[in-house]
Amino acid sequence: MTTLITLEILRTLRNRRYLFFTVLYPALMYVFFIHAYGAAERAGGLPVKTYFMVSMATFGAVGAVLTGSAQRISLERKSGWTRQLRLTALPGRAYTVGKIAASAVTTLPSILVVFAVGASQGVSLTAAQWSGLAVALWLGSFVFAALGVALGYAAAPDAVQPIVMITYMAMALLGGTWFPVSGSLEKFARFNPVFLYNKLATFTQPGHSLDTVAVAGLAAFLAVFVVAAAALYRRDTRQA
Amino acid sequence: MDTEVAAFRGVGKSYGRVRAVDGLDLVLRPGETVALLGPNGAGKSTSLDLLLGLREPDRGSVTLFGGTPRAAIAAGRVGAMLQSGGLMSDVKVRELVRLACDVHPRGRSVTGVLTDAGITELAERRVDKLSGGQEQRVRFALAIAGDNDLIVLDEPTTGMDVSVRQAFWASMRAQADAGRTVLFATHYLEEADSIADRVLVLHRGRLIADGSSAEIKARAGARRITFELHDADGQFAESLLRTLPGVQSLDVTARVPGVRTVRIRTADSDASVAGLYRAGLYPRGLEVTGVGLEQAFLTITGELDQHEAAMESAR
Repeated sequence: MTTLITLEILRTLRNRRYLFFTVLYPALMYVFFIHAYGAAERAGGLPVKTYFMVSMATFGAVGAVLTGSAQRISLERKSGWTRQLRLTALPGRAYTVGKIAASAVTTLPSILVVFAVGASQGVSLTAAQWSGLAVALWLGSFVFAALGVALGYAAAPDAVQPIVMITYMAMALLGGTWFPVSGSLEKFARFNPVFLYNKLATFTQPGHSLDTVAVAGLAAFLAVFVVAAAALYRRDTRQA
Repeated sequence: MDTEVAAFRGVGKSYGRVRAVDGLDLVLRPGETVALLGPNGAGKSTSLDLLLGLREPDRGSVTLFGGTPRAAIAAGRVGAMLQSGGLMSDVKVRELVRLACDVHPRGRSVTGVLTDAGITELAERRVDKLSGGQEQRVRFALAIAGDNDLIVLDEPTTGMDVSVRQAFWASMRAQADAGRTVLFATHYLEEADSIADRVLVLHRGRLIADGSSAEIKARAGARRITFELHDADGQFAESLLRTLPGVQSLDVTARVPGVRTVRIRTADSDASVAGLYRAGLYPRGLEVTGVGLEQAFLTITGELDQHEAAMESAR
């Protein structure tokens, strides 16, 4: 199974489009946002530099796993690669495990590059906070990897592309990616995994600890996405 | 049950109202090279899917080496090349073949597989940049990545030009010579005729013929006997020719006075010829020629269609 996972990671990193959209694009957006807002401003109770560093890191991470898993799974179901793999001794779960592992590895650069730009722009955290934040955001990306797998098994490639884009953008828009959500929007945002994902960063603020409500919410989403992915996977194998 | 590679027992599979496979009974034995023939929609691909456990039968059972298809695949006893089997993109041919060799419980060396599939020179190419025929060879490499006991190939030479096809047949024969059981579906009858030692003909989901290529041809009356009878050698009644064993059709012409040309289509040319002499006839310029498997195939499926049409109209 290691060979499959290594190869999945390798081919993702070879894809230039992936590198641009999931690594460079969020970093560029970050620079754009902090200059548009003005460096002294605050957003969601945080300095903009910190707020957008987190929201752009999550934006890149979610984008990496959604496009990396959903679109590829859908395309490879259509091409018949998933059928071919079923004719090997690999267990059925190997393919999805490989996809999730590959996206988990590839979310790291999108998080770390934005962090590096943030640090260079003057975001200052303790070493423990930097590493804690990186780990929290990295672990949180698994929720979206599971969603990506479910979407990949839900529809054909031509349908998956718009579904992924709409889901991604709607979750980002209402999840505090481009602007902090507040007031009545915030009530709905509690049911948005991206909002909860961004909340994982609150422990870096003075006087805050890890947002356990957000963690519990993300765990619930993870459970739902995994169940959906498993059901859709079984439907797919029955069809051929 | 070591003498049984694969077995279909009363297998049926329908898609909605269409019966793709209808009561299939079949046993494959070790070392056989078996061709699965049939027109499009005859149920070839569905049968192979069932054999490999990619689909579940509605009725009956399918076993591989006495167990489930999945168990046989997990044990590394089966290699397969599907028509609908895609390849991984963004990787090199060598990387993909290495993956196949690595995950196989009885995996072979990458170099050996590349050589046997004749794709050594493609090893550093990206999979997404290959032609249709080259892709087929890479698929074949995936099917022979391990020390399999059974190799299943679904229309393996589709998309190959003639010279490449000849080379591919040599690769297939090499697999059979190594003692492996080979089952391949094809619609190139020449392929079945020149490689297979057993031919299965599938039509509308049913097995309508099972035998050697020669037997299938014989069953379709696939031999033609031509000779001349000279009046000088003795008189005979034409009805005598009709009673010869195996005769399916008879055509007698007399272009030259005293010389009659006889053309017989027979299911058993040996018996017909023996009968000819036993009847005291003296055939001159006797020729026994085989018609191709293609003609045999058309005859068998055509007869069945006519028969079914007759049944329909009688209802």
